[in-house]
Amino acid sequence: MSTTYPSNRPPLAYLLFALIPVLVTNPLIAASTSPSAARVASGLQVQYDFRGSGGKVEDRVRSNQRLHLQIIKPNSLTRREGSIETAGKSLIRSAKPATRLVEIIRYAEEVSVELWLQPEKTSRQDAMNVFSLSDKNGNTHNLRVFQEEDRFLVELMTDNKSKGRYPKISTTPGSVTNNLIHFVFTHDRTGRARIYLNGELNVEKHVVGSFNQWSKNRFVMLGGTKRAWSGSYHLAAIYSRDLLPREVRSHFEFGPSLEKMAGEQPRDALLLKNQTMFDRHVAPLLVKRCFECHDTNTKKGGLDLSRKDAAAAGGESGPTWVAGKVDESLLWQYIESDEMPVDREPLTKTEKSRLRDWIEAGAAWSVDVIDPLVYEGVGEDTDFWIRRLTVDEYINTVRSAVGVDIEEEARRLLPPDVRADGFNNTAYNLTVDMQHVESFSRLAEMIVQRMDVMEFAGQFTEHTSLSTDDTMRDDVAKVGKWLFRGPLTNREITNYSGIATLIASAGGDFEEAISTIVEAMLQSPRFLYRVENQSGDGTVWPAGAYELASRLSYTLWGGPPDRELMRAADSGALFERIEVAAQVSRMLDDPRALGRSKQFIFQWLDLGRLNNMRPNAERFPTWNAELAEDMQQETLAFFEHVVWHEQRPLAELINAQVTFATPRLAKHYGLEVRDDKLAQYDLSEIPRRGGLLTQGSILTIGGDEASMVSRGLFVLHELLRGSVKDPPPNVDTNAPPTKEGLTQRGISESRIANTNCGGCHKKFEPLAFGLEKFDGIGAFHENDEHGNKLRDDGAILFPGTTEPIPYKNSAELMDLLAKSERVGESFTWKLTQFALGRQLGPQDAPTVRQIHNTARKQGGTYKQLMTAIVMSDLIQMTPTEKVE
Amino acid sequence: MNKRCINRRTLLKGIGGVAIGLPLLEEMLTSPVHAAKAPEIPMRAFNVFFGLGIPAPLQTEGFDGVLEPLKPLSDKLLIMRNVDQVRCDEAGSNAHYDGAAGAFTAEPPDGEARSGGPSIDQVIRQTHYPSGLPAGMVPTLVAGTFFRRSRVGRYVHSYNMDGTVAATIQEKPRQLFDRVFGRVALTGEDSTARDRRIKRSVLDSVVEEYRFYKSTRSPLGSASKSRVADHLDRIREFEQRAFAMQRKSEDAPKLPPRSEVPHGGPADPGGEGIDITLDELSSEWRLLADLYALAIQMDRVRFGALTFLAAGERIRLTGDYEYDGKKVFEFNDSAQHDATGSKGCSHEWWHQFNPKKRNEALRAHAHMKMREVAYFLHLLSGKDAIEANGRTILENSLISISTESGDGRHNDVKRELSGVFHAISSGGGRFKTGQIMDVGAEGLDVYNTMLAAMGTKHRLGPAGREMQKIDSIRA
Repeated sequence: MSTTYPSNRPPLAYLLFALIPVLVTNPLIAASTSPSAARVASGLQVQYDFRGSGGKVEDRVRSNQRLHLQIIKPNSLTRREGSIETAGKSLIRSAKPATRLVEIIRYAEEVSVELWLQPEKTSRQDAMNVFSLSDKNGNTHNLRVFQEEDRFLVELMTDNKSKGRYPKISTTPGSVTNNLIHFVFTHDRTGRARIYLNGELNVEKHVVGSFNQWSKNRFVMLGGTKRAWSGSYHLAAIYSRDLLPREVRSHFEFGPSLEKMAGEQPRDALLLKNQTMFDRHVAPLLVKRCFECHDTNTKKGGLDLSRKDAAAAGGESGPTWVAGKVDESLLWQYIESDEMPVDREPLTKTEKSRLRDWIEAGAAWSVDVIDPLVYEGVGEDTDFWIRRLTVDEYINTVRSAVGVDIEEEARRLLPPDVRADGFNNTAYNLTVDMQHVESFSRLAEMIVQRMDVMEFAGQFTEHTSLSTDDTMRDDVAKVGKWLFRGPLTNREITNYSGIATLIASAGGDFEEAISTIVEAMLQSPRFLYRVENQSGDGTVWPAGAYELASRLSYTLWGGPPDRELMRAADSGALFERIEVAAQVSRMLDDPRALGRSKQFIFQWLDLGRLNNMRPNAERFPTWNAELAEDMQQETLAFFEHVVWHEQRPLAELINAQVTFATPRLAKHYGLEVRDDKLAQYDLSEIPRRGGLLTQGSILTIGGDEASMVSRGLFVLHELLRGSVKDPPPNVDTNAPPTKEGLTQRGISESRIANTNCGGCHKKFEPLAFGLEKFDGIGAFHENDEHGNKLRDDGAILFPGTTEPIPYKNSAELMDLLAKSERVGESFTWKLTQFALGRQLGPQDAPTVRQIHNTARKQGGTYKQLMTAIVMSDLIQMTPTEKVE
Repeated sequence: MNKRCINRRTLLKGIGGVAIGLPLLEEMLTSPVHAAKAPEIPMRAFNVFFGLGIPAPLQTEGFDGVLEPLKPLSDKLLIMRNVDQVRCDEAGSNAHYDGAAGAFTAEPPDGEARSGGPSIDQVIRQTHYPSGLPAGMVPTLVAGTFFRRSRVGRYVHSYNMDGTVAATIQEKPRQLFDRVFGRVALTGEDSTARDRRIKRSVLDSVVEEYRFYKSTRSPLGSASKSRVADHLDRIREFEQRAFAMQRKSEDAPKLPPRSEVPHGGPADPGGEGIDITLDELSSEWRLLADLYALAIQMDRVRFGALTFLAAGERIRLTGDYEYDGKKVFEFNDSAQHDATGSKGCSHEWWHQFNPKKRNEALRAHAHMKMREVAYFLHLLSGKDAIEANGRTILENSLISISTESGDGRHNDVKRELSGVFHAISSGGGRFKTGQIMDVGAEGLDVYNTMLAAMGTKHRLGPAGREMQKIDSIRA
């Protein structure tokens, strides 16, 4: 038997994709997602490559529940290194029932079967069993792959028999050849079944029904007790998920042999484990327990533990550690003996043991520099929260889905989404109260009343009369798919169709049935939440096509996918990165992207705060609600101008020499009024203003006193992602008031000079020195209320550096900030946090860094940054929770 | 519900003679109260929080000092001093917030709206009602009179097992009223039986979907499932109101009066604080406290939290403060500080606390807070609150009172978080009462001892941590 390697070449689109510069993948999982030939590990349950000898075929999946195969009937069986050849009389079966495997597939409602095989005959008259999940005797199957004539077929047990038979899917006639064939069958939870041959899609079919009836007492079986297939097996694998087309192609290119992975995998896995240990335990420990004396600024004993190279090199006492040799490592010696940390609580037993394990395992770092903010407050576990639609998203979703504007009612009835961790869309805080339930119910009723239900239904069906047979199920499926942003399961169709039955029995008509079904759907979890699969094997899986469509649309638009995006999901185009990139480009040109970006800036800068400000009326008699609103409008218009009209890098929001003001605000700023409405003002000749920090919306953060502490902390936290510790003991935190001869700057400098305060205050108060000439409500003055001359010069200390950089005035401060890499990174972090609806942690840091680098190389505009975010693994992939 | 409840509601009065009007649903009056169904007293736990705390040196003065308003309740309370919450300190975050997140959880915050663990009331709820509370009951009631709201943890004090807030806070008396006693108008008043049947069918279909997504067949992860389970609980409550409780009581009076104090964004103008009179503050709080207490008395709620002023609250209070018929102090924070905005707020008295000085203003504020906390506790310990076993609700329940700090200067974590004032009721005879005790223990051990006494297996804090039993607090 010759083993002719198939000659299919990678498709053009695939090569093109490899050239797309926006690809950003997490290096920690790159091995499983690279477009170059590689095998994916996510969802892999069993894998046999037929190496070895004797009567056992080893399951190559590294787990403690491996399912090895036994050669039960060795008749006419030839075992070679990497393959087994049968002549139709042999039986190879798992040593025990595949109970766990069946449970996982039933739970996931997804499965892929991959085979590398070479048929003996291209045509068989009878159905010859190739591979199955069968009872011990091979009589009944959960799933069966067989050859009949010149085709491969897959029979799938579902709870939806038709005429007593389970559904089958067949390859095209003539698809069985004498060559070595790469066969992959996939089935997703929406019922889409596909067979790929040699990396190419051969057939696709919708298979109705679930795996509920799959028996756990089934064995993995090659051949069978009857009608066993003849040919050679080179590889067999089962996944508990639907492999994507690009993954199938990658497997095909990889070939049938796993040998080349064998040597690399353990080393990579070890490195990955050690880096994970670093991210989860060691870096947070260094930040919490060591940085007080050993970061770039403090560097006691010459030791800087915040930088990979410097940390390894060590300080005055010598190298910090010897990788793999814990007893020779100074760090360990000091820690174990409790000599370190000096004058602080010693490390706990657990902390010590983690540090020891990490050094022993090779002391790997996942980053070059530890950013304290990334590792502070890191918990042991990360929960993945389902995301309820925010009020904004709900309004947009209703508008897009059924064409009804429900904004006024939704804002009145629904509880507002409370801000947490800097944004109003933080998933863990999108809780639900009875008021939500009541409001969603009332809103659903109102929405349906305002809809032209027949016109809406007409988009999906030609039916106009009520029938409770299959046509109604079809209608429910189509309407539901649109409202739920993805296909319905059989269970869901049955559930909602029940409403139509009730309406029919109550004498209602088609319109009433659709109205009532829509009313129910508008309150359902798949409408109100972004439901995604989160269960799996604990690894990171690619997002499904419809999941990805929703991720793109809610991230870029804050609303649901449009018809074009849904079509792309339907056709499988979203499995191709080049297609995704095209969709993203189209979506960013849509006005909805502008609206979403404004939500970001509004929430990040907490512009809603202005609506409630009540500065002291005697001190600030010109303040009123209209001025506050003007300030909000200024920042939003400025953002739109810089980011969208001028398409400038986001960092230029800090120093762009332009603003937008109403006559009232222009007067407040001391600008010459040039229009009777909101108008653009060129500030190139007015260097004192220009950029976000010189706008009233931000300057008011300092309160009535124009606090340098509050303003400085804003710049430190929001633009530099820096942090400072709590004030030290026994210090009066009440600053004296300003007076003749004492300005805010003077008070601030006293604090910095104070040994108890200066260590931290020097990190953030000078960031606000350049703003001293702006009072509590953002008006500009050369002198304060006591006649003291005000200053705007200072020096800025960027986090992670030791030397402050001086600036002569406010304009220079803005330029320094705008050019700072750190500020640019902060925009990336904030925007990514907003996109994901959660705070970022160390596990995200490598990907966010790549997002930033990718976007920066292309120019650093909002569009480029959003493209890099949605093309990254943070959007394209889904971390799964292990199903026990 | 027996007639006694009607008497209770008619007796309840808000400050200033405002009678609380209660358009009660007949079902609440005629159907037997859950507690009355069975002779046993229901398991209940509530957290009562007040902002800014009591500096440890003032706690040592006992009932002669700022704790004076608690004296009439002293036989029903165990006052605990010297409870250490230092582990709640989170580097880089505000000390008020750290202390507040740790009140009732003994854990540092895990985000601006999330605690590092569950609160006492929720652990007890999960233990004793793992399948949910009886139908129609509010699963958890969170309410409060507060203004500063930069972080949710400043004012919400009931947290789920995963650390997320256990319920949306009700900050207006009318909101609280609706949440507990309100009727859901699912269809118009003139809806037909057919309409109701269809509405029921819609809700059934919706419930079916939520049930699926919380089930073992759900594709969701555990955190998401718990969120869906919460949603389903709320739907069931809604369902109960919509279908089982619909008949309006004939003598249904008017809604509580509209709140006069700022809420939402206007209550916290840029963190700069608000001007408010003592009369406004007390009226609002007492109306809320009346309604909350009534909800407990009518067995509409068994778990939750009530907040009197947020952690790090910023108000500029004015008005004469009287206690026991005598003027104690004249509040006028802004003038007394000679400052406006945040610097003119009562909060600053805590920053300026000096044990060697009189701290007159701080004492008056802290005394007033104890007066208002005591107001709520009296509602649960009067004649109307006597239950089948002859004891009051206060005695039969676990009411935990705590705050954010033992100092206020928030520039020394140890001083700030190591002497935090606590008080608890007897929890159905499980804890000592009638004394002021120097506990000298970590909050985590105190809370875990309380939980053990209340029959829970779950323990707060890091897994594997060896718990120190604080037997001295057990009866």
